[in-house]
Amino acid sequence: MTGMPPPAGDARRARNLLSLFQHLVVVIFAGLLVSFWNVQIGQHERFLAMAENNHQRRLSLRAPRGAVLDRDGEVLVENRHSLNISLVRDQVEDLDAWIERLARTTGLDPAAVAAAVDRHRHDPSSRPIVVIRDASLAQVASVAARRLELPGLVVEQVPTRHYPAATYGAHALGYVGEVTDTQLSQAHFDGLRSGAIVGHAGIEHAYNPRLMGTDGARHVIVNSLGREIDTIREVAPVEGQQLQLTIDADLQRAAEEAFRAAGFDGAAVVLDPRSGEVLALVSRPAYDPNAFAAGIDAAAWTALTGDPLRPLQNRALQGRYSPGSTFKIVMAIAALEEGVVEPEDQFVCRGGGVFYGRFFACHTTHGSVDLPQALARSCNTYFYRLGQELGIDRIHEWATALGLGELTGIDLPHEVRGLIPSREWKRATHGDRWYAGETISVAIGQGQVSVTPLSMAVMMSAVANGGRVPAPRVLRGAFDGGTGTSEIQASPDPSVVQLEPETLAAVRRGLWMAVNGVGTARRARLRGRDVIGKTGTAQVVSLSGRREAAGTSSQDLRDHGWFVFAAPRDDARIAGVVLAEHGEHGYLAAPIARHVMETFFAKEDGLPLPASPPATSLPATVVADAAQSNGARGGQ
Amino acid sequence: MFEHRLAVYIDWALLVAIGLLSVMGAAMVFSATYDPTSGTVGTEFYRQLLALAVGAVALVVCLMVDYRTLADRSWLVYGGLVAVLALTLLVGTEQGGARRWIGIGPLSGQPSELARLVLALVLASAYGRSNPGPRALRDWLLGGAVVALPFLLIARQPDLGTAVTLVPVCLTIMVFAGLRVRVLAVVALLAVLATPLVWAYGLEDYQQRRISSFLDPEQDPQGAGYQQRQARITVGSGGLAGRGFLQGTQNQYNFLPVAHNDFIFSVLAEELGFVGVSIALGLYLFVVLRALGAAWVARDSTGTYLVAGIVAGFTFQVIYNITMSAGLAPVKGLTLPLMSFGGSSIIATLMGFGLILNVRMRRFRN
Repeated sequence: MTGMPPPAGDARRARNLLSLFQHLVVVIFAGLLVSFWNVQIGQHERFLAMAENNHQRRLSLRAPRGAVLDRDGEVLVENRHSLNISLVRDQVEDLDAWIERLARTTGLDPAAVAAAVDRHRHDPSSRPIVVIRDASLAQVASVAARRLELPGLVVEQVPTRHYPAATYGAHALGYVGEVTDTQLSQAHFDGLRSGAIVGHAGIEHAYNPRLMGTDGARHVIVNSLGREIDTIREVAPVEGQQLQLTIDADLQRAAEEAFRAAGFDGAAVVLDPRSGEVLALVSRPAYDPNAFAAGIDAAAWTALTGDPLRPLQNRALQGRYSPGSTFKIVMAIAALEEGVVEPEDQFVCRGGGVFYGRFFACHTTHGSVDLPQALARSCNTYFYRLGQELGIDRIHEWATALGLGELTGIDLPHEVRGLIPSREWKRATHGDRWYAGETISVAIGQGQVSVTPLSMAVMMSAVANGGRVPAPRVLRGAFDGGTGTSEIQASPDPSVVQLEPETLAAVRRGLWMAVNGVGTARRARLRGRDVIGKTGTAQVVSLSGRREAAGTSSQDLRDHGWFVFAAPRDDARIAGVVLAEHGEHGYLAAPIARHVMETFFAKEDGLPLPASPPATSLPATVVADAAQSNGARGGQ
Repeated sequence: MFEHRLAVYIDWALLVAIGLLSVMGAAMVFSATYDPTSGTVGTEFYRQLLALAVGAVALVVCLMVDYRTLADRSWLVYGGLVAVLALTLLVGTEQGGARRWIGIGPLSGQPSELARLVLALVLASAYGRSNPGPRALRDWLLGGAVVALPFLLIARQPDLGTAVTLVPVCLTIMVFAGLRVRVLAVVALLAVLATPLVWAYGLEDYQQRRISSFLDPEQDPQGAGYQQRQARITVGSGGLAGRGFLQGTQNQYNFLPVAHNDFIFSVLAEELGFVGVSIALGLYLFVVLRALGAAWVARDSTGTYLVAGIVAGFTFQVIYNITMSAGLAPVKGLTLPLMSFGGSSIIATLMGFGLILNVRMRRFRN
């Protein structure tokens, strides 16, 4: 036994130390209590929110865009399911290594994956970022097998746009893609956030708010590995409205195939002249909107935007061309209504005439012609004289009234207006007075005047329906699956031009003769359908320009061919325009219109639709027909 | 050896407080290892119950043998400890890059947990036996050497955290045994001066990261700062009344690493709230003060030193772990005595209280 009673001094010291120890512990515990109070009570709200944010995740459920149908219910745009591979950044420790691993697993370029992630660097780190859109099943399988190496990886099934007809009608339908930063600041795309899929052209753009629907959301509980444990609540997405268009898929197909057979680029618009409903709208070359549906890659996009033929441009609404001889319809109406000529007045064409001291040529010597004959045979000399008598301002007035040089008001985006010159315009833009000689060129649709194919179709509709200038529409009705309501889109009231019956009769007779008689458009003739129409040639380069470029034989120098048409003459149910770029002559555009009309009437009568026309060997035809009108400008 | 009349002098209040803390701890281990998706609890809970039972037996054993008998044989015990620690380094089970475990058959344990008790015993007996009055420098250096050997063996495992817990035990006993505060201040100064050297040469990369992430937890939210940040979120989200037993989202969805072990108090704070924290802190404070009472009444210096040393080690670990569990101290693998999961820790802690009760029970000279 070695324990010794502590000496008195020692014991006192021990007691003092024990007392110090005890007080120290009490003070420290008090400090701990205060610290916990501070964290648990003082900052409770903040930490509670962080805890909630830790384990709850909101997964957006993308609403399918509404389907788009043609006027008979044929599907033009639908949705298919595709798989997106996404990344939730806040579950990844080393982002660069993660991207490297994913790229290796899926065989993608790491830089492209990094760029996709970088685009959304400002998003909250818990929001999934799509790194691979429309992943292949092989990619999904390989990443699923490497889940442990790729934490934070989410495979989402998303509805994706599908356009069964591919390039057909592409410009009317448009395409979709991620909303751009510029668009986010526009009212049309109000309330969207980055990453949303919106329409960028055509119907997809124009009716984007209707088509988009409302995204749903799933609130889930995840553990620290990001694995979903439970679903707290789910708000189902609401599909966008189903749209029915005025487009007739059969006519659209007929027009596209006839165009393809003829081998031209260009545009065609087919309207119901009574209502302005667009039955077909073609712009060539076209793009395949399916390529955009799951996100277009940079190379394909550059190829589209850099293509000199500009496939993204909707030529029907955005192409400005000289109307050429099709403008003679406007001239005839203006002259008859203004009383400067009577239909039966005869005029002798001697192959041209001198106006304001300069000789203007006709493409042949027509001899004695009245107005219908002048229209049918496209006599320049006759219309030079009408131009001289009308003057530029009255031409401007009537062309504008018939819808040229104005926006038609079609419900598709990015329409441009053509140009109908006037004294006022010349003064305002060139600061110069109008020279009377310029009117002579305008009288045959050359010179300063330019129009869009769509506005020509509207003008032709007005001729066909007796003076009502319709605002063309593509949307016919909409069905809202969410509310179960459907609405019919009423055609807006047309602006009306008062035309004398005699004027209409004379002009229609001329246009009828052009197709059915001695005229330039005999290739559009349909037995028993009383087709009326007019060809035109739009100069691509001036005569002097042509001389300079002689010998290069570039296709780009050849003129554009126009054909405007309507049928039947006195009860028109179809009207439209075909513009064949570098088609050289309007009568080469006429067969396209003929095939469309043939299809239209076959369908109307419940007959089998005509077979698509065989492809023609273009260059031989062009050379042969070009011989007919050598040297003459602005004819046919 | 054991006299029945001594049972009267057992500190039942202290035992009840220890029992309450153990029950709270076991409940929290239950919650921390509970799987909300399958509705099952981990085996850790049952192993904890087993450890508590074994610990209770060990407590009784430590209570029955007179502490003076143990003190007389302390060098033998010390020799045994050093031998086992050395053996652990050689043939211990490697886990996560460290050899801390040694096993015989199905039984295994961390001998380092016992080091505190053994050192307290050997130092208390050495200083308590020698003559009172001013001591020679030789005595302090000798004491230092006695501590340094197991310290280095444990630090080599490596387990710097457990090694560091030896320091408050030994310093407390030395101060009680007459070490002047002045000398202590010199030692502290030297320690501060050596910090950069220790930082550069003495710490592993992960240790450096832990400390720097403590100083700025947001610098690397996914890395070393993650645990600390999650600990603070866990505690803060508990609020006044807590989120409810088994209802803490941070705990249940595993956002808190090693919740059943180092961060058991965070789980308590999350699920039982500030109310639960206050109760636990109150119980710990009661245990510390009550245990120190045994030092107050001990019949000899050895008893006083022994109790003071054991309580100091216990208190240090409680305070450090609780501070860390609120994200207010660097993350260090230190258990919370009586609550954290871990058989060796539980058993060693209960044995320590056995010794404390032992000193108090035999306070009368006969």
